[in-house]
Amino acid sequence: MSTTVTAPAPVRTPSPRPVLPARPSFVGVLRGEWIKLLSLRSTWWILAVTIALITGISLAVAYSLDAMAADPAQASSLATTNGADVVSGGFQLGMVSVSVLGALLITGEYSTGMIRSTLAAVPTRVPVLAAKAIAVAVLTVAVSAVSIAVSYLVTMPQLGTYDLVPALDQARTWQVFGGTVFFLVAAALFALGVGTLLRSSAGAITVALTVLLLLPGILSFIRVGWVETIVDYLPLPAAGAFLGGNQGSLSSAGSGLTATTGVLVVAAYALVPLVAGAVVMRRRDA
Amino acid sequence: MIEAHELTKRYGDKTAVDGISFTIAPGSVTGFLGPNGAGKSTTMRMIMGLDRPTTGTVTVNGKPYAKHRSPLSEAGALLDAKAMHPGRTARSHLRTMAATHNIPAARVDEVIEMTGLSTVAGRRVGGFSLGMGQRLGIASAMLGDPRTLILDEPVNGLDPEGVQWVRRLVRSLADQGRTVFLSSHLMSEMAQTADQLLVIGRGRILAAGPVQEVIDSVSGATVRVRAPRAGELAALVPAGGVTVSSPKPGTLELRGIDAAQVGEIAGAHGITLHELSPRNASLEEAYMSLTQDSVEYRSDSSFAAKGANR
Repeated sequence: MSTTVTAPAPVRTPSPRPVLPARPSFVGVLRGEWIKLLSLRSTWWILAVTIALITGISLAVAYSLDAMAADPAQASSLATTNGADVVSGGFQLGMVSVSVLGALLITGEYSTGMIRSTLAAVPTRVPVLAAKAIAVAVLTVAVSAVSIAVSYLVTMPQLGTYDLVPALDQARTWQVFGGTVFFLVAAALFALGVGTLLRSSAGAITVALTVLLLLPGILSFIRVGWVETIVDYLPLPAAGAFLGGNQGSLSSAGSGLTATTGVLVVAAYALVPLVAGAVVMRRRDA
Repeated sequence: MIEAHELTKRYGDKTAVDGISFTIAPGSVTGFLGPNGAGKSTTMRMIMGLDRPTTGTVTVNGKPYAKHRSPLSEAGALLDAKAMHPGRTARSHLRTMAATHNIPAARVDEVIEMTGLSTVAGRRVGGFSLGMGQRLGIASAMLGDPRTLILDEPVNGLDPEGVQWVRRLVRSLADQGRTVFLSSHLMSEMAQTADQLLVIGRGRILAAGPVQEVIDSVSGATVRVRAPRAGELAALVPAGGVTVSSPKPGTLELRGIDAAQVGEIAGAHGITLHELSPRNASLEEAYMSLTQDSVEYRSDSSFAAKGANR
């Protein structure tokens, strides 16, 4: 028996032009980064922790006013205490959590391998970092504003007792609130930039927290002229310059900078690592 | 269409890819075959613009990947199964990628369905098996409906049903005129899936062409003979171009002569044959002999190069 089986010739249609509407755009990249941020549980945890820390500390500071009032030795510092500083009193801990958020936004991609999917979709790379910066800045503005608003509300009864509720028609109040939000955004961007350079979660968080939190505290014990100058230019003391740190407020570090210089120094901490990160990211293998 | 020209990648003093040139044509499935560490993944990462070539160029559909206006429409890649954040759900992962190209949500659902992930799309990737991760990786690659598909070890970790599915998928994609480039170290898989082969060993292209041609070029067909008077028969075979080996007494393996000729010789001399069977070299044999040669060739060439420099 002989049966000839002829395989049907494969159908070769010409290379199809994409029918799928696909138009890359920076807004699209930004939307992608926004979805990335909000689709991770860790983001929501960090946001919740940030609000809890900032309001918790401000509440604790507000209640410590009772002790100050009871102690005659501290009565004078109570007189100079500004209500706005109490409300934003927890921002240093908020700084810790938002910098973790900023660092993880990029290092989480490197540690999981997601970065290869990300850069395959956006092979020009720099838009990814720009979109991350914008997304984390927007989210940080939101979470700081909510934290301050909640702090304002929960400390109101206690601050009312001492007639310290920050007046919302005062420029000083908005300088502290606005300055706090600006500083937290800068901290998140600083960590994002450091994370882009180091690509390691542990490394980036360690470096960011050392510069933001540890160095000002440790170096402030050294009373040597040039070390004191360095301290002035660290992010937290520089922020003290525009947060108008008075004696008795948490943001006071006796800053030697003017408010404007303080703003510029903090802005530099946000931008320089990011720009360096963008340059390195373009050149490096993913 | 993928075109590489003198593509080289060095990491420190280790050369992962060593000046390779090749063209992957559309409309067929091209297998990228080589042992671990041969340079397959590095080559694929360079195609996708993730690693920068030390020297040389590689283009996808005529341009470096990063220069395309809509990269995901040009090429989609599965580079490793875990190029995704474990804390995100499968659907969220695809949505983040789709957003960059303003790809509609309907397409995300389409690739989820296409890859059989509908029931797990809302689950976080961290809990996925290797096979599910591979399917999600293929879904990501398909997202932009790309003209070129690059799949690194796509059947790795898939169950038999999944392997069949990948085979049918790449076949249908190639039949639609797309370029399909997939790597594997499973030679038998390549024999069933690929039309063309690109064999790589130690960063160099060892062979390229249609699957059967590559196999034939490496080791021609052999004829196996069992005969009580095997030694006599071996002496009668014409010397020119024929190699004879005797794996065990009474058995011969002849290369460079076909079974009919051997039968004629035996009949003319009255030699009784117990077996006369033509054998085609398998892909595995071809592969082994290719990569083995590459090892020997490499060490010889470096030795020779050193000698020549002195």
